[in-house]
This record gives sequence, C-alpha cells and structure tokens, in this order.
Amino acid sequence: MTKEAEHAIHVEKLTKRYGDLLAVNDISFTVRKGEVFAFLGPNGAGKTTTVEIIETIRTPTSGKVTLLDMDVTKKKHKIVRRIGVLPQGFSSFDRITVRETIQYYSRLFCCKDTDIDGLIELANLTDKSKEQFKNLSGGLKQRLGIAIALVNNPEVVFLDEPTTGLDPRARREVWDVLLGLKKKGKTVFLTTHYMEEAELLADTVAIISKGSIVAMGSPGELIERNANYLVLTLLSVDEKVFEIVQKMGFEPAHTNHKNIKVRVEHQDDVRRILNGIKDIGASFLSLDVRKPNLEEVFLKLTGAVLREDPAEEVAE
Amino acid sequence: MSPRVIGANLIVSIKSFYREKTAVFFRIAFPVLLILVFGTIFMNQDDVRFDFYVQDLDQSSSSAELVKTLELNDKFKITTVDPAINATQYAKHNKLNLVVVIPQDYEKSLMQRMKRKDLNASVTITYIYDPSSTSVSTKMQILNSVFAGINQRMSGKPPFITPAETSILNRKYRFIDFFVPGIIAMTVMTASLFGAVNVNAELRQKGVIKKLSTTPITHTDWILSNVLYQFILSVIATIAILLVSYGVFNVSLQMNVWLPVFVVLDVFAFVGIGMILTRVAKEAESAAAAANAIMFPMMFLSGTFFPVEMMPGFLQKFSRILPLYYVNEGLRASMIFGDNMIALRCSVIIGVFAAVVFVLGMMTTKWEEG
Repeated sequence: MTKEAEHAIHVEKLTKRYGDLLAVNDISFTVRKGEVFAFLGPNGAGKTTTVEIIETIRTPTSGKVTLLDMDVTKKKHKIVRRIGVLPQGFSSFDRITVRETIQYYSRLFCCKDTDIDGLIELANLTDKSKEQFKNLSGGLKQRLGIAIALVNNPEVVFLDEPTTGLDPRARREVWDVLLGLKKKGKTVFLTTHYMEEAELLADTVAIISKGSIVAMGSPGELIERNANYLVLTLLSVDEKVFEIVQKMGFEPAHTNHKNIKVRVEHQDDVRRILNGIKDIGASFLSLDVRKPNLEEVFLKLTGAVLREDPAEEVAE
Repeated sequence: MSPRVIGANLIVSIKSFYREKTAVFFRIAFPVLLILVFGTIFMNQDDVRFDFYVQDLDQSSSSAELVKTLELNDKFKITTVDPAINATQYAKHNKLNLVVVIPQDYEKSLMQRMKRKDLNASVTITYIYDPSSTSVSTKMQILNSVFAGINQRMSGKPPFITPAETSILNRKYRFIDFFVPGIIAMTVMTASLFGAVNVNAELRQKGVIKKLSTTPITHTDWILSNVLYQFILSVIATIAILLVSYGVFNVSLQMNVWLPVFVVLDVFAFVGIGMILTRVAKEAESAAAAANAIMFPMMFLSGTFFPVEMMPGFLQKFSRILPLYYVNEGLRASMIFGDNMIALRCSVIIGVFAAVVFVLGMMTTKWEEG
C-alpha cells in the first residue's frame, strides 16, 4: 500500500493570501483514513480557509492539496461525489422540511439508495422529520446539516465548526452524532474552537494560530509534550492567599474574584503553597490539582485565548 | 446537465413558492388584481366615446338638428343644459370640462344664409371649457372639424378632398385589450428579475450556495432549473391574467405562438439581469434595491400602463432603449393587431438582448469563493 493510499488528505506547503492578508502560511499535514482530525484555533486563525480549500470551495495561492489521491484544484467534480460537507453556519431552504431537504441533497448526488430514515435517525431528528427548516433550533439545524453531509455515504466528512453558537445541551447532542460517525470509522475533518470538543472526538489535533500550525499530535501527546507542569486551583480563598502565593515566587491568576489558579512544576510546590497558607492562618474552601488541558496548552503555544465568553456565543 | 438534478431543484423551488403565501400573492394574485382594478376603471372607454354638454339657447328645430348632428353616430354622448341657467357657473359647479353653447337666433341666421343667400349671416358657437382637462382639446378639435364640414357644405361647392376612415384594427378594441399584454410583460419581468435576485442573493448570503458548491450540481443545472422555475411561474401568472381578462372583461386578443415566445425571452432577459445584479451587489438587500431601481423606470416608461406616445420626445427615445418596451410592443403587435412583422422585429431585438445578458449572467455567477 502506498503512503498516499493510507492518507485521506495530504496538504503540502499550503499558502492562501487575500491581497495583503496572509490567511494560511505554508502549512503541511496529513489526515489518515478513518481518523478524526481536529483543526483547533481561534476565530480568524485560518481554519475555515484551509478546510474550504480542501473541500474545493476555494483555490490555494500556492502549495499542493490532495484528497483521496486527487488534486483538489483539478478534480473538483470527482472529489465532491466522495466527500460530505457541513459548512460553517449551515443553512438550507426555509420552507422545506427535514425529510424533503435530505431527499433533495440525495437527488443532487443522484443517490437512489440513500437511507433517508436511517440518516434522520442518526441525526436524532425522527420526531422533527416533517418540520420546516425555518422552524428548527440551531442544534437541530446543525444535526440536519450533518445528516445531509452523509447522504452520499462519503469517505471523508468535513464539519466546519459544527457546534459554534449552540448551547451546552445542543452541543452535546451534536457530539453524540459525531461520536456515532467515529464509531462507523468515517474519516472526519473537524474544525473547532472548542477545546473539549477536540479532546473528546479527535484522534489527532492540529493547533493553528495566525495561519500557521504550531503543534500537532493526539490530545494526550500535545499535553505531554507541551505541558509538563501541574495546575493548582484554590477555591474561595482569603484575600491574603493571593499575596502569599505571589511572595513565594509563583504567578497566581484569579479565575474569578474568589478563586485562584497557580501553575506549579512538582507536587512539592503544592505542599509548599499549602504550608505557606497555613502559616499565615489563611483559609480556602477546597483545592484541585490536575494536569493541564488542551486549552492551557493552546495558551502556552499561542499566547492567545482560544474562545470568547461562551455565554456570548449561545444562539438558542 | 442532469435532468434529475434540475428536477430536484425545481421541486424544492416550487414547494418553497407555494408555502410562501406572500410570494404567491405578489406573483399570481397581484397582477390579477391589477387587471381587475385597471380594467374596471377603464372598462367604459370603449371606442373612445366622448361626452360633453350642450346649451341650446335657440330651442328651434334647426338647433335641435345641429345637436343631433354633433352626436356623430354615437361618437359623442351629449347632455343638454337648461337654457335658463348660466352655463359657465353650471360647468364650474358640476366640474364639466366642455359645454357647447348654441346662440339665440341660430335658426334665424341659418335661414338668412340658406334662403336669402346673405353671406354676412353667421353664428358663433361658444366653447365653455376647462383648460386643465386632458381630453377637452381632442373634443374641441373634433367639433371644429364637424363645424368646418358644415360650413363647407353650406358654401355649395363640393369638397376637393374627401377623407375616408378605415380602422387599422380588424375588430373593435378597448383599453383593457391594450392593457393585458403590458401586464403580462410586466409580471414576467418582475417575477424573473426578483426571482433571480432573491434566489441567488439570499441563498448565497445564507451559505446555501456554498453548501451546493460541495455537491455535484453544476452552474448550468442550477441556472437552467431556476429559468425553468421562473418560466413555469410566468406561465401560471399569464394564464391567471388571461382567464380573468376573458372571464371578467371579455377581451378580444389573438392567442398565437408569439405569446410563449415573448414570455420565454422576457424570462431569459430578466433572469440574466438578475444574475448580473446579484454578482455586482453582494448583499441580498442591495441586490433587491438595484432590482427595484431597474424595474420601476422600466415599468412606467416602456408602455405598460400608458402609451409611450403620450410621453415627451426625449422620454420616448429613452423608452426605446428599454428591453421591456420591445416585449410590450411585440406582445401588442401579435395579440392585438396580429402583426407578425412587428412581433418578429421585437422578438429579434429582445432575443439578442436576452442572449447577451443571460450569457453575461452565467459568466458572472460564481460559486467558488476565490
């Protein structure tokens, strides 16, 4: 088996410019067949531009992109028959029902054997199958978008920010559908700015910032490689605690006005801090010591916060 | 080109259409309402029958004969005014635009001229008129020609030139007969223009076009299915207009092959313009505003509601560069006069225009984001 045949997607030195703006800067990566590959980055990092080049919607400025061994700039008509796409901010025809929408896209692919009921069930939309698109909530629309992305039984599925703008419950419902895809062994290319989404679903995560890939690997590898420290969180602390931790040479940060988070190198540092607090007679309600998560890895690698206040993003 | 894909698009478009009640109203019911309203307003303008008032101050058998002569075989509907009242005040009070006053001693003067050959004997017929009225000058011109004829006959010499009237129309036509082809042309134009703008701009803004670009549907499939959809709606609207026109107003129109030809060319021309507008104005709202900016002058300056000949000279010249003018002219030529040559000339002009804008529209419609 050739190297290309093992890869669903191969991106080499891809660059995309919009006038003076460098949106994607010389990136290279591969996506193995059957894996869930997450492209993780903040808004404006270049995620959507990259994925739309792979999906044949946009053309690259330079570099080479092959999808299922086909050049995306030359084989659009063959490629689109073998991929499924959920574009960012998916929308459809307002007055067409869930079932009719799936049937419509199935006809566009000239699929005679599409299991419409199966897709409706997979997206957990059975009781909404006669509902018009305009009456669906954000989460239901996204789930319908995922079902549509599967009408042609694609080899590679692209999901561009499938849960952006959804409330936590709707987000989890979409994740359930995506976990179903993972179980089926589909190759999934996921772009997201939700850390927990990437950690939960992805086999490989590529962190993109300002058009460049700054790290790539499995979530565990990324944490191991980039964050060999511990995070101590103290809840409901006295006002004096922040000062004493600072005096001990650490860099505490408030997570809110009562809680603080401290990055420490070893378990011994935790003991030192606790003893210091005890010595001055201060108190706290509880503590938590854990390894850093992807969000903290992202912060370390890019110096940027991955997402804004989630409350602002909830559409429903 | 895939008939299955075109069919799928057509089904979605038609379902979206009949589930959107305002779209059904504006594309089918609105033109029918226009026909009903304008047809009712102008239904009494058969054969351009004028009316005016006559005050006969002489009250003689000769003056009565003159009044009868003025009726011109029912061309004029004449109402008499009591000779005892002030005609000017009466006209003002009743908002009359023309009162013709036959003077006292009309018969006496007539006898002097006819029997005594007194060439100095004459009468003055007075027109009391409202100069702001648009029809009064036409009425006075006709009356002048009638009086000129009477004067000429009284001179005893046979006329050197005798006019003979032959109508260019085979049958009698009314305003509604002229109005219906214009409404068909306008309805097809607005439906095609706004259909193309709405479908392309709204769906692009919502991201549906982006999604479609990741499916096997081609531009050609998409555009052809939209043209077919606009054509089907135009045919439905045209049938509704014709049914109401025949059923309510009993219009006299010739149904021939030119009607579907002009509907098709109208659809292609304005879908083409719509596609270009969608590309130039990227937002749905600005594309719709641009479509309005094109549609309104077209609607009022290309002879849909009133003849182009009524407009000032420079506007008439402007009308002749508007594509809808040729659809209006072509449809009227074929449906009213049965004039195939004018219909052919208009169809060639609008056909060339439609081909150019449609090809430009196809070339400018892009799904790839660059």
